Amino acid sequence: MNLFRSEEHIARWLAGRTPGTTITVSKLCELAHAWWSDRLSPGWRPRSRSESQAILDRLGLTGPFWRLP
Amino acid sequence: MNDGDLALRNTTYTLFARLGRAPTAAEISSETGRAEADVRAAWERLHEQHALVLDAETREIRMANPFSAVATPHRVEAAGHVWYANCGWDAFGICAALHADGRIATTCPDCGDPLVIGVHDRRPDDESLVFHSLVDAAHWWDDIVFT
Repeated sequence: MNLFRSEEHIARWLAGRTPGTTITVSKLCELAHAWWSDRLSPGWRPRSRSESQAILDRLGLTGPFWRLP
Repeated sequence: MNDGDLALRNTTYTLFARLGRAPTAAEISSETGRAEADVRAAWERLHEQHALVLDAETREIRMANPFSAVATPHRVEAAGHVWYANCGWDAFGICAALHADGRIATTCPDCGDPLVIGVHDRRPDDESLVFHSLVDAAHWWDDIVFT
């Protein structure tokens, strides 16, 4: 899970490997805040799978790649 | 996760943020009054539940996601400390967890050029960059260190 200069850099880095998925850094930042902002909260509790999936869905991160087990 | 393990998990995270590094079992023991062996046993249960990640050999804290206990290529300056994140996603996650602006420094895995991104008011200051994940969500925890 890495940041890259551009999609061209990703394609070169993959060197023929099967790609995963690419999102913009703005979407990543949005995801990070939705996913991690409660981690130091005194009231933190484990999220259920459906709660985690709802975060991804709400951000438009849908499809098989973003489907949690 | 039982209440005791939840409390110990929260203390582990609180101490990580306060110290700017992973706490030791002895430090958690001192903070909570629980025996060090109890702390380590709770850490093992939390590891199994993906609430934190222990080092495969030493069984010390390896990750308290999004924080990394070891230096990585994803360095974050935020809230008066230098942190290391487990991946590009976690780098932004550190700013999110701390509710702080920050400065992320990493390198493009393709060309090796440094990438420096500021995070201000929950927004990156360079929107030209992209993020790639090789591993799909169903397999993130198959090998979390690789992911």
